[in-house]
Amino acid sequence: MPGPDLLSSQGLRLDGRRPNELRRIRCKLGVFTQPDGSAYLEQGNTKVLAAVYGPHQASKSKQLTEGVVVNCQYSMATFSTGERKNRPRGDRKSQEMSLHLRQALAAAIKTELYPRSQIDIYVEVLQADGSAYCACVNVATLALIDAGIPLRAYACACSSSMAWKGGEPEPLVDVSHVEEAAGGVCLTVASLPSTESIALLEMSHRLHMDYFDVVLSRAMQGCRDIEVILDKAVREHLVEGWTKQDVVTI
Amino acid sequence: MAGLLLSSTEKVFIIHGVQDDYRSDGRSNIDYRPMELETDVVSHASGSSRLRLANTDILVGVKTEIDVPKPDKPGLGKLEFFVDCSANATPEFEGRGGEQLANSISNMLERAYHSPHAFNLKQLCILEGKQCWKLYIDILILECGGNLCDAVSLGVKAALFNTRIPFVKAVLMDGGNVDLQLSDDPYDCKYLDVASGPLLVTLCKIGDKCVVDPSAEEESCSVVSLVVGITGNPKFYVTAEEAKNMPDVELKCSMIGMNGPGSVAPKTFKDAINQGMVAAKCLDKALGQALLRERQENTSFKKHSYGFLK
Amino acid sequence: MPLDYRRFNGPEDSVSYKIYTKDYIKPYEERYNELLDENGLRKDGRALNEARSMFARTDMVSQAKGSSYVEFKKTKVVCSVFDPREIPHQNEFSQLGQIFCEVKFAPFSCPRKRRPHAPDNEERALSVALRQALEPTVCRHLFPNYQIDVFIYILEHDGSCLAAAINAAGLALADAAVPMYDIITSCSLAVIGDKVFVDPTEAEEHVAKTSLEDSNINHGIVTMSFLSELKQISDFTQVGSMDVECITKAMEVLEVECEKLVPNFQRIMVMNVIHNFEQRKRLDDEAKEREEALNKKMEEWKQLMSAG
Repeated sequence: MPGPDLLSSQGLRLDGRRPNELRRIRCKLGVFTQPDGSAYLEQGNTKVLAAVYGPHQASKSKQLTEGVVVNCQYSMATFSTGERKNRPRGDRKSQEMSLHLRQALAAAIKTELYPRSQIDIYVEVLQADGSAYCACVNVATLALIDAGIPLRAYACACSSSMAWKGGEPEPLVDVSHVEEAAGGVCLTVASLPSTESIALLEMSHRLHMDYFDVVLSRAMQGCRDIEVILDKAVREHLVEGWTKQDVVTI
Repeated sequence: MAGLLLSSTEKVFIIHGVQDDYRSDGRSNIDYRPMELETDVVSHASGSSRLRLANTDILVGVKTEIDVPKPDKPGLGKLEFFVDCSANATPEFEGRGGEQLANSISNMLERAYHSPHAFNLKQLCILEGKQCWKLYIDILILECGGNLCDAVSLGVKAALFNTRIPFVKAVLMDGGNVDLQLSDDPYDCKYLDVASGPLLVTLCKIGDKCVVDPSAEEESCSVVSLVVGITGNPKFYVTAEEAKNMPDVELKCSMIGMNGPGSVAPKTFKDAINQGMVAAKCLDKALGQALLRERQENTSFKKHSYGFLK
Repeated sequence: MPLDYRRFNGPEDSVSYKIYTKDYIKPYEERYNELLDENGLRKDGRALNEARSMFARTDMVSQAKGSSYVEFKKTKVVCSVFDPREIPHQNEFSQLGQIFCEVKFAPFSCPRKRRPHAPDNEERALSVALRQALEPTVCRHLFPNYQIDVFIYILEHDGSCLAAAINAAGLALADAAVPMYDIITSCSLAVIGDKVFVDPTEAEEHVAKTSLEDSNINHGIVTMSFLSELKQISDFTQVGSMDVECITKAMEVLEVECEKLVPNFQRIMVMNVIHNFEQRKRLDDEAKEREEALNKKMEEWKQLMSAG
């Protein structure tokens, strides 16, 4: 397959990572006070913010008797990309992203617990440097946890691509913007790693069937790695929250 | 702003407090709440800042583009303000819900920056009549906890102070056409002169008195507020030694506007403008000091960036 | 920017050829010198502190509940006010009535450029300023959960269009019999250096808005709307750069100018009432006449019937 050269002769990627290495993930829960839940996440240079409002009563036209309505909005700051965006939201791409977000998150939320209610999840991309959708799913999960909404499992998303190393296929995890722009395959998976189920799967460009499994398993491995990081962040946040509260009461 | 509920007794409490110059959070009528400011937070932008004033959170990014100047202003660059009220702040802003508020804020900024005394557009000129810089100043409102205008204007000035405009290396003329070459070195750039940039001060009329920096609760007690844009003093944006040789500059109003359904008596109005002047001067001084410190840290060693992770 | 596909639009980046004419790209000094003649009078023969004469009338638009037409020489504004109606797309009950304002420039109204059909930034800003000015004077508690629509159409723009719009809206609201606390009047002035131009024309506004970078003179435009009986400022907008002293002075001048307009407005409104009364009387008289004629006919027929 005549793909772009994504791996150096030493087997390192354009930004110096190994093929199975994620970018550095840093995150924080509870960045804002007004929303019911909020979180911030950096995945390399991709930076996203999420706020969760609800569950609250849904408007008459929207409400469902069997479960909660998950309302997502994906918007990108006008300065988030290399070239300035004219509109932060409302264009086709962000509408599609909102739908995809809803699909992934609705799979994770225990929707049956809140009939006739609505949960609003607003995600803001402050800086986009590849795999913005994945970062959004991850940050939205953290914000949902911060809001105290019951989840089946962590919803984690990760992307993977494909390169060649000495004639052998070598999948790449957590695709950055340069790799995306180079025009290789990009497979995005949103999954619930602890239940081993996939909530959303999307792929661009073409990939031979034989390699699909390798690429997918690399992405799934990425999801599992991310889950560990998110879980650690949540635990740290909770511990910190308790100690902080003690200081205030004293 | 999200779901703020105040009973009438709580409102009376706030109003009486303001009358006695002692507000519910312990401030006097001319005090600001503590702020956090960080510059250079968005790497895709030429200049950026993040300002947190109590619960109000603003992120400003400045992007530069090359444009053709207007024929009647051949030597001047362009500024464009765009405010985006993120739904993160309140669900009411979802979709196009925040557009009205966003428009009114960007309009105020545009008016405040209109005068050449407030911002000199000449520094954005590349080649007179042919090419100029256009600055897109994009403001993202992430949380509203009262006093948006002041916070936005502070964030904008900080972001502009942080903005680096690349030097244009070579200008080649072939057949009357202009060819610009920008250097690849990101440090080969100049800072903008924004020392006289205006700050907006909101004066919220509560009872018979005006307060600066109203919280969301105080804003809901008032029917009318005055927004005054006051130009900055370049003295505050240079080191102490340099400031000694600089002439004193008279502060000027570059914008006045009113918000809210009420009206004011002329005398209250005059007092409010004077009060705004005093407040703006203190604010400008504090901002200048903070920005100078930031710039020193930025140039001396690789600063640790906090962003939202603090 | 939403584009209007129902009309033929020029290419997106097209500009008027006029912006390349000599007249348009005149330097600042030349423009400034043109404003005043050697006697210190303005181009149209006014003194600096002299406002333009006003022509105003009500009952312009027959379909509207109330309407007015205000003319300051070449600034011409039509305003129509419609009946209160329930606020569309609203979730919560609002205790106070709302005023919806829309200011629109006619495509041919401005001397410098053609106005697009979609509302642009300036129009939106004017609409907001107009609502700000009108809200304090209308008794909004009398029509909760309803809104009054105020539409302004600027036929010709020759300076102080916001002041003209506020004046027209005040008259139209009164004409529509919307309960109000006070008569609202508005006036604007332009400051260039130490000179104050009351009720500026478009050319004067243009000079006042721009200034030379190195000079440190006051410049700018101030528009104020005033409730003369209550002595309250309902809107104050300033653009440019001025010191506090200059603003205080401008405020005093504008207060006087706004008060000067009040007797005219009162006369228009009183005349309006008298006119309405006369019309009502005439209609009543006509109706009576008709009735009499009808009665007479009936009598005739009755006689004919009884005779036949």
